Amino acid sequence: MSEFKDFFQFGAPTRVISGRDLIEGTGFEFAKEGAKRPLIVTDKVLRGTGLVDRVAESLKADELELAGIFDDVPQDSDTRVVEACAQAAKEGGADSFLAVGGGSVMDTAKAADVLFTHGGELAAWEGVFGLPREDDGAGRPISLAPLGAIPTTAGTGSESSPVTIIKDAERGIKFVILDWPIAPALAILDPDATATLPAPIAAATGMDALTHAIEGVISTEWSPHGDAYALHAIRLIRENLDRAVADTSDEEARGNMLVAANLAIAPTGLGASGITHSMSHPCGARHGVAHGVANAINLPWVIEFNAGADGVGTKLAPVAELLGVEATGGAEELGAGLAEWVRELVSRLGLPTRLSQVGVPEEGIAQLAEDAMGEGPTLTNPREPTEEDFVALYEKAL
Amino acid sequence: MAYFKDDAEVYATIGKLFEDLAVDDELGEQFRKANTIVRYEYTKPDSVITVRLQEGQPGDVDFGESEMEPEITMKMEADTAHRFWLGQVNVTVALARGKIKAQGPINKLLKLVPLTKPIYPRYKAQLEAQGRGDLVEAR
Repeated sequence: MSEFKDFFQFGAPTRVISGRDLIEGTGFEFAKEGAKRPLIVTDKVLRGTGLVDRVAESLKADELELAGIFDDVPQDSDTRVVEACAQAAKEGGADSFLAVGGGSVMDTAKAADVLFTHGGELAAWEGVFGLPREDDGAGRPISLAPLGAIPTTAGTGSESSPVTIIKDAERGIKFVILDWPIAPALAILDPDATATLPAPIAAATGMDALTHAIEGVISTEWSPHGDAYALHAIRLIRENLDRAVADTSDEEARGNMLVAANLAIAPTGLGASGITHSMSHPCGARHGVAHGVANAINLPWVIEFNAGADGVGTKLAPVAELLGVEATGGAEELGAGLAEWVRELVSRLGLPTRLSQVGVPEEGIAQLAEDAMGEGPTLTNPREPTEEDFVALYEKAL
Repeated sequence: MAYFKDDAEVYATIGKLFEDLAVDDELGEQFRKANTIVRYEYTKPDSVITVRLQEGQPGDVDFGESEMEPEITMKMEADTAHRFWLGQVNVTVALARGKIKAQGPINKLLKLVPLTKPIYPRYKAQLEAQGRGDLVEAR
């Protein structure tokens, strides 16, 4: 019997277009969102591939003016980069942002858009559903400048989520700004944009997408709509992740992984997440571990931790079926089977399997556990963890 | 109908809970680990409570205007705050619906959520001891 949930909300506010040969049509599509003079936000590596030049040419071909190209986004962006990006938009007379890159680039563009539109200090906008609204805060949220996104990795799904996660350069933590206007107006999913993606990054970002999908299904904030997105994402990931990593010229697999990542973010982007993310965010903020790699390492331990919680077995059953995991017995056996499947996948993809392999020291665990307690996904995990639980999980993952 | 008729009732009930927690040997110390200052801005009726949760500092609680500069601001109807302390509010749902609006480094407060559960019966007992058992009943 399907459960009728007491409450959920769902939205898919981003217009998504997906297919081949879309890069050259970027200007045509972005103009539909009201962009006339966009600032391209990207990083230097991508700029060197020629992709950004193609995007810029497309804008000009469709008579959009280019306000500039901000290519100073590092792998792990922070508040100072965001401020510089917003300033570049103002100085260039931009009226919109076009992100061409992975999660760091897209989250930088989103956060810069908040500063560009509303001003102030970025940290002051930290929180959920706290951006300015009409009618003294009770009405419709005030729109940001149009934002378009061309993801060059298949993992974060940031091109369609109403959330940005940025590292605070002073506090040394990552913080969240979540509200509807942050969702890009346009996402362009073209496998050509991932053509130069190295296999290890394709593997790590793909694991990020799988984590979104699995945690989206079992989170306390799951929704029927989110399940529909996440379960199909899991199906696509099973069919395409190995292929996309093993043969980076496999355009079909890369394209399907872009779609999978875009689907997988639907529940997570609205807060249906779990403690894999609670564990991984501090690993990134404190020790510079790439988000997808941290998720790949932490996910199986969290699946086992959650499996015995009330109702989780029922939620994991369709996940296991889609992944071809045969498990007999109860929920904990199912969780063990799924965790083992994930571990085998991580090994097959050539990713690290231990936090100690990626620079997390044993003496750092206490601080990581304390940080994890303050992460939003800790509240929406199906099993309520204590700080001691986090210590135990980090020790297992170490 | 709202639970509270004016700000004085909010301060006498929710405010008193904060004051008692501030001087609680065990819980006060745990809450101060958050190391922040929180301002709760309530509506219906309009009322403001500012709480200092800083290690090594006194557990100051101000009603109305305060000289304490908040790091985190939480906005909600006083009824929502009241029902939260009775254990009747799902925080994630309230945030999703905009019933609770939070600004600032809310990760500091999220760490405290597990500490709040033992306070629910304590708040209920406080209200009954104050002769405000009427506020315990659902509306």
